[in-house]
Amino acid sequence: MIKTTVVERVLRKELIKANTVINDEVFDYLKRYNGPFCSALKENVVVSKQNLIPLCQDTGMLEFFVFLGHKVVLEEPVETILTRAVKETYVANCFRTSVVDDPIFQRKNTLDNTPAVVHVFHTQGNQMTVKFLVKGGGSENLTRLFMLSPTATVQEISDLVVEVVSAEGRKACPPLNVGIGLGGTADKALLLSRLALTKSFNERNSRHCYAHLEVELLRRINELHLGYQGLGCGLSAYSVHIEFFPTHIATLPVAISFDCYLSRRGVVEFVDNGSYDG
Amino acid sequence: MSLSITDHMMGEEFTYSGAMIVMRDAAQKRLFESSDSGSVTELLLKDEIVFYAGPIITEKRVIIGPTTSARMDKYLGELYERGVIATVGKGPRAAPAVEVCRRYRRPYLVAPSGVAAFLSTKIERIELIAYPDLGPEAVYRIFVRDFPLLVAVDKFGNNIFERWEKR
Ligand code: SF4
Repeated sequence: MIKTTVVERVLRKELIKANTVINDEVFDYLKRYNGPFCSALKENVVVSKQNLIPLCQDTGMLEFFVFLGHKVVLEEPVETILTRAVKETYVANCFRTSVVDDPIFQRKNTLDNTPAVVHVFHTQGNQMTVKFLVKGGGSENLTRLFMLSPTATVQEISDLVVEVVSAEGRKACPPLNVGIGLGGTADKALLLSRLALTKSFNERNSRHCYAHLEVELLRRINELHLGYQGLGCGLSAYSVHIEFFPTHIATLPVAISFDCYLSRRGVVEFVDNGSYDG
Repeated sequence: MSLSITDHMMGEEFTYSGAMIVMRDAAQKRLFESSDSGSVTELLLKDEIVFYAGPIITEKRVIIGPTTSARMDKYLGELYERGVIATVGKGPRAAPAVEVCRRYRRPYLVAPSGVAAFLSTKIERIELIAYPDLGPEAVYRIFVRDFPLLVAVDKFGNNIFERWEKR
């Protein structure tokens, strides 16, 4: 059994870290940036780490992807545990609570940043892997879903992605991390585009043709010169990841998700050693 | 308050010390669209700078940063009509909003975004002004020192974001 207290303790630590300590890959690029507001961006990293203040005031809505081994036993539903970890972390650390209870009528703040969005995937074995994104509203609003004709060409898909980034990308605090989900059903494509955002920047799709398209898209996006803060200097995007899935003969779903320059994410692994006394 | 903040040109980076009104989506919606907007209808926006943001206020500090301005483009004319001298946010605004800046001769400034920890060191004080029930979306007045800003759209309507779009 994996104990609730263990999952909660580890998750609390990871959520604080994701919000207050810059991700290494992001920092490598930031060190080399010299354009507008560069000193504010660089000093921010130091101030936030020293004082455990969030890097950004938008401490996001939490999105979890749980890969739950079939031999894993938990004390409670994983969603309950994760929700509690979010609630405790956000309230105790005064991270901004950015979740409202219903989307169109009251929009009343839930005041503890819950619920989180939790996706569970059932896998083989005795491991539970929890991946998460701290998803700010600015980048979330750029998400797009297109149901293309199955005869659409790779060039057309590539143009579409570049068009979306060109029209909207400056709103989401570039450099961006771009996740693309291709195929499946509409919902599957969106989910794949999210999973694509959890990868590290240098990882490439194992299929050569998709890896090639990732590199090509990144090159085209960087030619748009969005730059840090959308002000034209430096990178437009860190990376493009594509995830694909078989699809219906009549469909070609294309989902595009974005993360902002902070790319706040985490991965935690738990193992169920089979004992029941923890 | 000095009006010189309106005189900087597109692309200029400078720092500002003084007061700003903090107001974002929900407060502006209530202020401009609801019949019971309450005390804020009396709120004097004249000569104020409006900062689009939602602060986190802790015992020790105020954590704040700009939010996407384009979402509030539809209220920009109303703000300038009430005497606001500049708006501060992040990201580009739609063409009609840029035109509003030009017509009222008011700049749109950007503050560095996603750097709330750094900006928290530039905030001296915060006061709640209206709509406390909106939590982080309530209306506040903040006092800042050496707060970094950059002119995205100057009072003549020159737009830093357009500079790149045209390429
Ligand atoms: S896009 Fe990211 S860095 Fe920018 S304000 Fe939103 S959460 Fe913060």
